[in-house]
Amino acid sequence: MTNGYGGIIARGIRRSFGSVAAVRNIDFEAPPGEVTALIGPNGSGKTTLLLILASLLAPDAGTLSVGGSDPGRDTAAVRRKVGWMPDTLGVWESLKAREILTTVGALYGLSPTAAAHRAAELLAEVRLSDYADAPARVLSRGQQQRLSLARALIHNPEVLLLDEPASGLDPGSRVELRIMLRRLAGEGKTIVVSSHVLSELDEIADRAVFVNRGESVKSQTLDEAGTQLRRYCIQAEPMGALADALTSHGVVFEEPGDSRRVEYQVLLSSTEQAAWLLRTLILADVVVTAFAPAGGALEETYMSLDTERQ
Amino acid sequence: MSAMETQSLQESSTHHLGYVTGVRTIFGLEMKQRLRGRAWYIMMAVWFLVIGLVFLLATLTTATMDGAGPFLFDLVVGFVLLFGLLVAPGLSANAINGDRTGGTLAILQITLLTPGQILWGKWLASWTASLGFLALSSPFIFWALALGGVNPLEAFVSLLVLAIELGLVCALGVGISALAGRPLFSIVTTYMMVALLCIGTLIAFGLSMSLVIEEDVRVTQSFYDYPQEALESGQMLTEEDLECVTNEVLTPVLHTERTAWLLAANPFVLVADAVPYDRDTGNANSGVVTANYRAPGVMESISEQVRLAQAGPDYEVTCEEAQFFGSGSRDIDSEPLPIWPLGLALQGALAGLVLWAGRRKLVTPVRRLARGTRIA
Repeated sequence: MTNGYGGIIARGIRRSFGSVAAVRNIDFEAPPGEVTALIGPNGSGKTTLLLILASLLAPDAGTLSVGGSDPGRDTAAVRRKVGWMPDTLGVWESLKAREILTTVGALYGLSPTAAAHRAAELLAEVRLSDYADAPARVLSRGQQQRLSLARALIHNPEVLLLDEPASGLDPGSRVELRIMLRRLAGEGKTIVVSSHVLSELDEIADRAVFVNRGESVKSQTLDEAGTQLRRYCIQAEPMGALADALTSHGVVFEEPGDSRRVEYQVLLSSTEQAAWLLRTLILADVVVTAFAPAGGALEETYMSLDTERQ
Repeated sequence: MSAMETQSLQESSTHHLGYVTGVRTIFGLEMKQRLRGRAWYIMMAVWFLVIGLVFLLATLTTATMDGAGPFLFDLVVGFVLLFGLLVAPGLSANAINGDRTGGTLAILQITLLTPGQILWGKWLASWTASLGFLALSSPFIFWALALGGVNPLEAFVSLLVLAIELGLVCALGVGISALAGRPLFSIVTTYMMVALLCIGTLIAFGLSMSLVIEEDVRVTQSFYDYPQEALESGQMLTEEDLECVTNEVLTPVLHTERTAWLLAANPFVLVADAVPYDRDTGNANSGVVTANYRAPGVMESISEQVRLAQAGPDYEVTCEEAQFFGSGSRDIDSEPLPIWPLGLALQGALAGLVLWAGRRKLVTPVRRLARGTRIA
């Protein structure tokens, strides 16, 4: 029984553990062919939501459709379509990397030859071919993380749920993860990535759902996030000339204390305004040495939500 | 047929997990981990040494004894059962919650596996692991067999019943490990269950005595005694002088036949009772200790005691009956029905109940989650 929509739609999801409400009210939507980021601070209910989407945990209330099926009613159908990568690393330490993949493949009903073929393919994709016959316990954290990703992909799922996939990865592997996820999204798969490392999501995600204290507080596309009010950092030689120029044009600035460098931060509403300010400063003979957004677009949203909360 | 339909057709045909395939995959996964770990081999080595030591000591002490074969045989079977009951919970009672702690259970649950397949696979693997211990002790069993006095059938039935008993304890362990949050807790609980079966049944049987006692029952006794004249004659008394005396007395009677079923659930009773003892019993039941009397082995006497309890007050073979039935005596071994099928049923029901309850804990999506546990 499928409603034909390959992505994820969740409405009014609630789930509590005893007296602790892990998820209070989350609306979540992830269309196929896009990477949807699930963003929120620690303990905001991200992992709980992903467990619910992965059909491991039943919600107390709310309606749910994953890959066109309801995880509560048609669990097996959802399992066939969903690949899930947990935040905790669970590996069978004495098994070889290849065996882990073929075993899980078998548990998804793949024939031994199909599973072996798929395992070799995925090991190459996550650059673990050299470790295919090494026991999983000798793999580093980052390598285990990549193996976990390969495991989630073994049955070529339509929907991919990744809980903190980039944690523990070196910069090179992060870039590869990004390329891989973009390619999978390009193939029409629905991808959900939870993280609180916002800078990397800026480059991967098409859209983001922000959750806080078990509630979805904002949902926006990256394009929307890019057009909102953003902070820019400006440095100049000397800083005094910059301060004078900003004051004379009525631009409010502040000096953040959290940076090693001396810099000023200004709030700008659009890229046009940023272009105007930079041109104005240069025409005023200020020696601008740095002019850039203070953080990623998602970080901006995240911080603004954080401020709203307090 | 469009390309898309072909695609979805392939998907649905490849993505189907047969029940046996699932069980076999879990079994293989478990066995690989056990065979590659060192713990299992170390435990096996310790087991072999301890059983070997016990056997060696027993062989030395019985070297001069007549009928050492049955005695040693029973001793080894008893010890293997005792040690098996100690090892099996350790091999089985962390099967599910150990994986849960290690974060690998959710990875299994997210696949097409059903809770039943996980339980079957885990149980079969822990049973197989414990059968390794049994295989390791079979040389001693066959050695005792070689000493003579024991029917080979006894050895094979003993091994079979021991294997079944280990399987039952493993089933208990796997079920409890699905129910309990932490491995330590489930292992201890499984040991408690085994202790309940081994010692609890005895205590319950003992305490129930007061419930089945019947005061002042008129009972016909008959026993051998030397007649008065023979005693007064001053001659050396011989066996021929004994005569059968019958009289009636008022005495309390224990109706243990009503509570003997309590003993059935005891693993030692189950194993002891299932073995068909085919030994030269001398004339142990006729009331007269004869020259060729042989003391029964440990397990054999457990079986005898249980059957006596089953028989209740009618257990005594009186000399009157002995005279009536002739030299063949009355065969009390075959009189009450064997109790081991009941034991098998009781233990099987217990294990089944625990597994059924454990299965409910493995059903996903999870509705109720025990306090302090995580899915992943």
